[in-house]
Amino acid sequence: MLRSLAIPFFGLALAATAAHGQSMSPMRGEVTSFTDAFAVRVFPSNPYNKKIRIDIRVYDQNFQPVDARIAPDSFMLGAEASRPVLVVVPFDGNNERKVRICTESVPFPNEQTQIKAQICGKFLGTRRF
Amino acid sequence: MKYCILTTGLAIAACSIAQPALAATGNVTFNGTVAAICTLVVTNGSGTMTVSPGLQSLSSHNAGGVAGTITATTTGNVAISIGAPTAITVPPADVTPITWAPTYSVAGAHTVAETGASSNLSTPGVDTVTVHLTGTKTGSDIFAAGNYSATVTVTCQ
Repeated sequence: MLRSLAIPFFGLALAATAAHGQSMSPMRGEVTSFTDAFAVRVFPSNPYNKKIRIDIRVYDQNFQPVDARIAPDSFMLGAEASRPVLVVVPFDGNNERKVRICTESVPFPNEQTQIKAQICGKFLGTRRF
Repeated sequence: MKYCILTTGLAIAACSIAQPALAATGNVTFNGTVAAICTLVVTNGSGTMTVSPGLQSLSSHNAGGVAGTITATTTGNVAISIGAPTAITVPPADVTPITWAPTYSVAGAHTVAETGASSNLSTPGVDTVTVHLTGTKTGSDIFAAGNYSATVTVTCQ
């Protein structure tokens, strides 16, 4: 009975290989914009010797999703590789906006890894007229 | 006349030898900035929850349970936290409420006792983050037979 309830909650990634993770730079930034949006270029990187799936998400200070343009917002990243991602955040009528831009590792298909590593940078956009 | 010219030439040559060559010097200045960086590596993704003898706790803390582990490498001035579990699945027979509590502890360059709150890692270093998940039932509710799973998010910001 007890064994039947013993279930994996983080998944069954291959024990012999490193699992998933990532880093991102920069993790802080201030941007001044003369338009109704500001842009940030971040560089997620994959420290592993295997490719991983990366999602880029933008949240506000309360971790609520922000409707930003992200290019690309989801991609496979090769081993020990890094690539630029452009994020354009609208001010939505405000003169400044604080957002978190997060890179999240996504479990591989057909694996049950259920621990998600999330690296978030904090960015402040200021609008000038 | 010839003697005079020769003497003058030797004097000039002697002066040239005695005078040290003027060396040009310059300084090269290097500057570097290390920004706040955090790297998370999931080193054990095979965490396991087991049920307590009273069948009201399903946890990686229970006997036979296994925690998840992450290696966090940071330049400092970052915070680590854990989010509420998502993508929770329970067996169809389980129809009573479950309270889920993800927690973590940090050991290595920093020490953080097990908590569910955010922790500042203000200095650089490498740490092992141990992640636990516990589901609890109250009253007369108990866990049902079957598979349970949840996604736990560890955030470094």
